[in-house]
Amino acid sequence: MSEFRRQHPVAAIAQLLAVLKQNIVTIIILFVVGSRNSGDYFWYFFGFGILSALVIGFFGWMRFTYRVEGDELQINKGIFVRKKLYLTKDRIQVIDITEGLLQRAFGLVKVEIKSAGSGTESATISAITRSEAGELRKILRGETVSEKATTSTEEAVESEDSREITKSWRLSGKDLVLAAFTSGNFGLIASILGAISGQMEEFINEENLNYLAERLPGYADSTLILWVALFIFIVSYIISFIGVIFTYADFKLERNKKEMIITSGLLERKHTTVPYNRIQAVRFVEGVFRQPFGYGMLYVESAGFEQQNKEKSIVLLPFVSRKTLPGFFKEFLPNYHEPEALITPPERSVLRYIRRPAYLLFVIIPVIWFLWEPGWMLFSLLIPAFAFGWLRFNDARLNFDDRVMKLQYRVLARTTAFIQKNRAQVTQLTVNPFQRRKKLATIQLTAASGAGGINFSISDLDYEDAISVYKWSVEDNNEYHSGFPSG
Amino acid sequence: MENVIQSVPDKRIDKNAIKAWRISGFLFGLLFYLIPGIGFLLYMEGEIDYWFAVISGWVALFFHLTAIVVVPGVRWRRWHYNVTEMGVDMYRGMFIIKRTMIPINRIQHVDTKQGPVYRKFGLSSIRLSTAATTHEIPALDDETANHLRDLISTLVRQVREDV
Repeated sequence: MSEFRRQHPVAAIAQLLAVLKQNIVTIIILFVVGSRNSGDYFWYFFGFGILSALVIGFFGWMRFTYRVEGDELQINKGIFVRKKLYLTKDRIQVIDITEGLLQRAFGLVKVEIKSAGSGTESATISAITRSEAGELRKILRGETVSEKATTSTEEAVESEDSREITKSWRLSGKDLVLAAFTSGNFGLIASILGAISGQMEEFINEENLNYLAERLPGYADSTLILWVALFIFIVSYIISFIGVIFTYADFKLERNKKEMIITSGLLERKHTTVPYNRIQAVRFVEGVFRQPFGYGMLYVESAGFEQQNKEKSIVLLPFVSRKTLPGFFKEFLPNYHEPEALITPPERSVLRYIRRPAYLLFVIIPVIWFLWEPGWMLFSLLIPAFAFGWLRFNDARLNFDDRVMKLQYRVLARTTAFIQKNRAQVTQLTVNPFQRRKKLATIQLTAASGAGGINFSISDLDYEDAISVYKWSVEDNNEYHSGFPSG
Repeated sequence: MENVIQSVPDKRIDKNAIKAWRISGFLFGLLFYLIPGIGFLLYMEGEIDYWFAVISGWVALFFHLTAIVVVPGVRWRRWHYNVTEMGVDMYRGMFIIKRTMIPINRIQHVDTKQGPVYRKFGLSSIRLSTAATTHEIPALDDETANHLRDLISTLVRQVREDV
C-alpha cells in the first residue's frame, strides 16, 4: 500500500447517514412539528438539507485519500481546509472495525484508529473492503522494535504465532437478556427530554393538554402528568432494553499474546482491538439492578482518545458474575489479580459515611417544607439516605501489593477498580478540617483514560493507612525517602 | 499543626510569594465589588433596598481584605514540595489540605511560566503534566524554577516509560 487511494464511494453515503444518525432526535421532532405547521415549505428545506449533505459527502470522499508508508498511516482530507493526518504506529492505541448496515450491504467495513496524546484526532476510514481493513490492521499492529521492548514482561519470545487466538469468552443468550433487563440505562431519557425541551412549547401547550384531557376523561391534571412520566419511563426502559440487545448480541472476547479483540453487535458489528500494553486500568461496575444478582460490567481504560468522544472506557465484558472474575483475570488479564493486604475505613469514620448522603436532604427539605406545608414528611427520606451511607461504609475497601491496587467504593453503583503500580498517574491525599480532628484522610488515584483521567477515591481512611497508600505508587519495592536531598 | 500528614515535604516556595500574592489578591479582589456595584445600580433604579447594596459592599470589602492580608501568608506557610528521583510531592491547601504525589516517570512534560506580577518579583511557576492531569508549583524564584525544570526533565528521561 504505497499509493494514495480513495475509499469505496459508499463512504459518501455513510457520511450522510452519520449526520442523520447524530441528529435523529432533532429530525424526528422537526418532522412532527414541521409536517403539521409549515407544509410544503418544510419539505423543501428538508430536501435541501439532505442534498447539501450528499454534496458535502461526495466532495469529502473525493478529497479523502490514504496510504500506509512504512510505519505510518497517512491521510489527506478536507474540502476547504486541507488536512494531512499522519499517524505513527507506535502512537496507535485502539483499532475499531465496524460493519454498519450500509457497509455490510457492500461487503465493506469502517475503520477507526485512535491514537495516544490529547487533542489528536482519531482517523476514520468509513468504507473500505474487509480484506483491506484486515491488511491495514496487520500492518499497523505488527511488531516493532520499541514495542517488543515494552512488552518484554508479557512474553519473552516474539514469534509468528503471537496473533493466534489463545482464549475466548462469549456472552450467552440468557446473560444477554438478563443484561438487557438490568441495564437501567436511562441516559436516553435525558437526551430525548433535552432535545424536546427546546421544542417544549410545541408539545406541552394548552391545546395539546386539553386534547389529551378530552381523550382521557376522568384524569385530573396531576395524574395526567404522572401517566406521562410513567409512559416516558417505560418507553425509555424498552429502548434501553433493545439497545443492549443490539449492542451486545453475539458478544465475543478473544485474546492473543499481545491484544484482546472484542466483537459484538447485531446490525452493526464492531471489532475493537485493545493491546495489552495500552491498558491503564480495569473497572468492574455493579449497577444497582445487577448487584443483587451478583453481576456487573467490566470496563478497561485506555489512554488517548479524542476529547469529544464521550465513550472513553471500553466495555470488556457486558455482563459477568463477580464470582467468575478471578478466573477470568487469570486467563485474560494476567497482570491484574486480587492483592492481599486490606485497608478499610476505621470505625470512627462510620458516622461520617452515614451522614454524607443526607447533607443534601438537610438543605433541600427545609426549602420544600417552607414552600409546601406537608414537606416535613420528606424527612422520612433520611432513613434510606442513612442506610445508603452505611452501605457505602461497608463497601469501601482497598487492597494492594507491590504490583496491583484494588479500590472498591460505592457512588450509586459499586465500583471495583484495579490499577497497576506503573499505571497510577497521580496519587492525592486530602484532609478537610473535620477529617483532621478525627485523623482521617481521603485517598484518590488517577489513571489515564481517554484524553483525560479517571479518578478512583476512597473517603475517610486512617492517616497511617492513607500514607501507606500515598507512598505506594513511588515505592520501587524500596523505602520511600521523603527527605531525599535533591539539588 | 503543620504535621497533620506525617513527614511533610521539606522544601518551601519563595517568600516573595506572599508579596506577589498580595498584589494579585488585590487585583483579583476588585472583582468582588461587582456584586455591590450591581446592587448599587439596582438601588438607584429602585429595585432593591438600600441595605442590600451596603451589606454586600461590606462583605466584598471583607473578602478583599482577607485576600490581601490573610490568604497569602497562610498559603505560603502551608505550601511544601519536594522533588526526588522517585517523584514530585506537593503539600498545600488553606482549609482542605491536599497532598499530591506524581511518580517521576509519569510526568510527560514540565514547563515554567511567569505572569507580570511574578516577573516583578523574579518568580516563576512550574507546571507538570501527566497523561491525565496538570499540576503547578507556584512562586519559586527563577533560578530554582529553572533548575527544578531541568532536574525533573533529566530525571524523567532517565526512567522514561511509555504511556
